[in-house]
Amino acid sequence: MSNRPRSKLIHLLISKSIAEALLVAAIAIGFYFATSNPDLRGVLDVANAETVNGWAVDEARPWTRVEVQLFIDNEFVADKNAAEFRPDVHSAKRAEDEWHGFIFETPPLPAGEHEARVYALLPNAAGSRRTLQLIGKPFRFLIEPKQTRLGLPQEKGGTR
Amino acid sequence: MSSMEYLKPEDSQAVGDVIGNRALAGWEIASVVSSIFIAEWLASVAVDWMRIAVVVPIGLAFVLSISSHRLRGETLRDLGFRLDNFLRAAGLLTLPMIVTAIVCLAIGWWTGERIDFLRWHISRPLAVQLILGFAWGFVQQYMLQSLVNRRAQIIWGRGWLSVLVVAAIFAGLHLPNPALTVATFVGGVIWAAVYQRAPNIFALAISHSLMTWIVVSTVPASALHHLRIGLKYFGSN
Repeated sequence: MSNRPRSKLIHLLISKSIAEALLVAAIAIGFYFATSNPDLRGVLDVANAETVNGWAVDEARPWTRVEVQLFIDNEFVADKNAAEFRPDVHSAKRAEDEWHGFIFETPPLPAGEHEARVYALLPNAAGSRRTLQLIGKPFRFLIEPKQTRLGLPQEKGGTR
Repeated sequence: MSSMEYLKPEDSQAVGDVIGNRALAGWEIASVVSSIFIAEWLASVAVDWMRIAVVVPIGLAFVLSISSHRLRGETLRDLGFRLDNFLRAAGLLTLPMIVTAIVCLAIGWWTGERIDFLRWHISRPLAVQLILGFAWGFVQQYMLQSLVNRRAQIIWGRGWLSVLVVAAIFAGLHLPNPALTVATFVGGVIWAAVYQRAPNIFALAISHSLMTWIVVSTVPASALHHLRIGLKYFGSN
């Protein structure tokens, strides 16, 4: 193979690499925007033995209600729309109206430390996929033995 | 040329001197493989309308491949688009195909799988599916043999080393499907070895279609996982 065609081939390979790098970057950016909502705002305020509550707003569509799912210790608990009365969210100018709160009833849990996470449900345009986006931060909470509706936790190392 | 002087873009001779023929052949292989990986692992699972992106890496791989043949002065006959050696290639393929078919039947019987030669695509007549399998095999064998195998021979020469590299690349492109990875490694060794002795893409494409039919008809469907590869292997649609 002489030098001139070899040089052309090298240029072609470089051009192809650049084009593919741009394609991968475009897919990555497209995937990010298709599976997450950068306009989503919200906070998980409280989690305890009785309730898990907070608020969620899609700032791009502030009149709509965000569908949220509660997970405790990575287990799905419940699903609902964030449509509870939260005047503080409206007065803080985070929403167009006062109905963006969510309140979940905490299910019976054993005594001990637990972690609550609330996710917003994001369907894609075609409705073929749904992704979850964490609202605020995970909330760790403690259930005292006297608060539990399930009895005392098991001792580590097995039963007596 | 001193270390402070740089190559001018129009100085094609100097640019061509930078990379040797073997390194360039390796780069071509890596570039084509990367395109297929991008198609399998990224573009084909892109969401919604972005799925069309799969045509970009595949198209670029073909542009590179065809341009490479032209720039290297390779003829269609060199690449294996010929009929004069068809019977020789078919003869070389016959014994390994029979052995592979017997092994597949044995796997089917041993696993208790119901052997069904009509289950490749139940909504399509078998003849149509075999023709589609030939077309798909033709494309794969062209890329695998006419480009990857020929460039591997530039690097490692004709023989088992280049044959094993081609088979390993072909198997790697079928990850993470374990059954398909093993099957394509075996098929890759047979096809690459035959191509080096009698380069004929038509015979390889027929073999590809027939062997796919045999594997799909005999090996448990649960092991083949609907022939899914890349990120789609983990998905349900």
